[in-house]
Amino acid sequence: MRILHVSEYLALVNDVLRSELPSEEMTVEGEISDFRISQGKWVSFDLKDDGGEAVLKCFLTVWQMHVPLEDGLRARVRGCPNVYPRYGTFKFSVQEVELVGEGALRRTYELLKKKLQAEGLFEGSRKRPLPRFPERIALITSPDAAAYGDFLRVARNRWGGAEILFFPTPVQGRDAPARLVSALAFFSRMSEGERPEVVVLIRGGGALEDLHAFNDESVARAVFQSLIPVVCGVGHERDESLCDFVADVRASTPSNAAERLFPSRVDVAREVTSIVRFMEDQLTSSAAERHRLIADAARTMTFALERNRGRFEISVRWLNERTSSWCQRWDERLRQQERVLGSVDPKRVLARGYGIVTDGRRVVTDASTLASGREVTVQLARGSFEAEVIRVNGRGRQKLL
Amino acid sequence: MPFSKAFEELEGITRWFEEGSGDLEEGLKKFERGLELAQVCKRYLSQVENRIREIKDRFSETVLDGEETLDRSP
Repeated sequence: MRILHVSEYLALVNDVLRSELPSEEMTVEGEISDFRISQGKWVSFDLKDDGGEAVLKCFLTVWQMHVPLEDGLRARVRGCPNVYPRYGTFKFSVQEVELVGEGALRRTYELLKKKLQAEGLFEGSRKRPLPRFPERIALITSPDAAAYGDFLRVARNRWGGAEILFFPTPVQGRDAPARLVSALAFFSRMSEGERPEVVVLIRGGGALEDLHAFNDESVARAVFQSLIPVVCGVGHERDESLCDFVADVRASTPSNAAERLFPSRVDVAREVTSIVRFMEDQLTSSAAERHRLIADAARTMTFALERNRGRFEISVRWLNERTSSWCQRWDERLRQQERVLGSVDPKRVLARGYGIVTDGRRVVTDASTLASGREVTVQLARGSFEAEVIRVNGRGRQKLL
Repeated sequence: MPFSKAFEELEGITRWFEEGSGDLEEGLKKFERGLELAQVCKRYLSQVENRIREIKDRFSETVLDGEETLDRSP
């Protein structure tokens, strides 16, 4: 008989339990109840049989919990039985938990959706706008999916000249989430100059289990963390995925993703044409406006000229009237002067029989200035003659007779 | 000149005309520039194909040293 300490005994119990009940070989299925998280780290719940009394106390950390859990869900858990020496209680240390049963996947999806929504991953305020005319875009999908062909076909029908960086990834299967995460991270890591303007994440439609990669928490978070705006287009119109909600733009289908991203070259060409027409119209109307202004100015100037011409004519008439009366007066005065001059004209006096006596160049008006014997010239109306002074005022040579 | 730049400048000219400063000389210059830009845009719009480059990621066997490279697809 061995005598053991309590701790030694419990350590032995745990060793035996683990070797006899290896976690790789068995899983326990039951319904979750009394689910709780304490201190944001420790997760505990009870696993029960349907309507049974048996209870398995389960324990794990939040980091081991890859699916959101809730009371009432059926789950399969894998792990080790464990007696905690400190409390002497038996608990099941969970290594992996997986939801099962009717609607489990749907429930998991709904719970994860609620969780991400609460964290703000779907916030409209963080949605970034897409470039109007994308020149460099990234495409993440499987080259085998119809989505790939649909997207490229619609893109080509709408737009040309863009560069599409295609990152092939599986869109379903075990590897898909990790590959999608790495593709998203790849583009975010590119240098700013190299980085595409948009990331397009697409796949065709399918059942919820087919879309698991687009509902994976790590992929949804990678979309959230992408430094580049993400357009997500999954499946058919009715399908939704968590990536859809996190993405900056949610397209209803892969074709719709191309439609949302690329403008139609026909529409844009029409817009360019209408801009040119608008410019022409504006220029023409601006020219017409100027023409009208010039015409107005010309009319104003003509009017001003007309008015001034009127004034000018009045001035001229006034001047004419003034000058003519002025001239008349002058005329009269001239005539009067003429008359005066005429009346004193010596020639007219001579015509009446007078004569002008000159001594040399001097007109003789005083006889006493003459000496007898002096020769003088007598000018008559017609001709002149020389004469000798015989007597002056009664004195001089005696009269011969 | 990238399409978006040309188109945005063209829109800028449209706004200038909308505001209607009415300067005919300036308008004529803007109009000529607008026609040039419209040409650039239309030439771009006449492109039919988008270029597709396939990226070989680290999982791909063509790149074993773990570095990402960009390969030109045919």
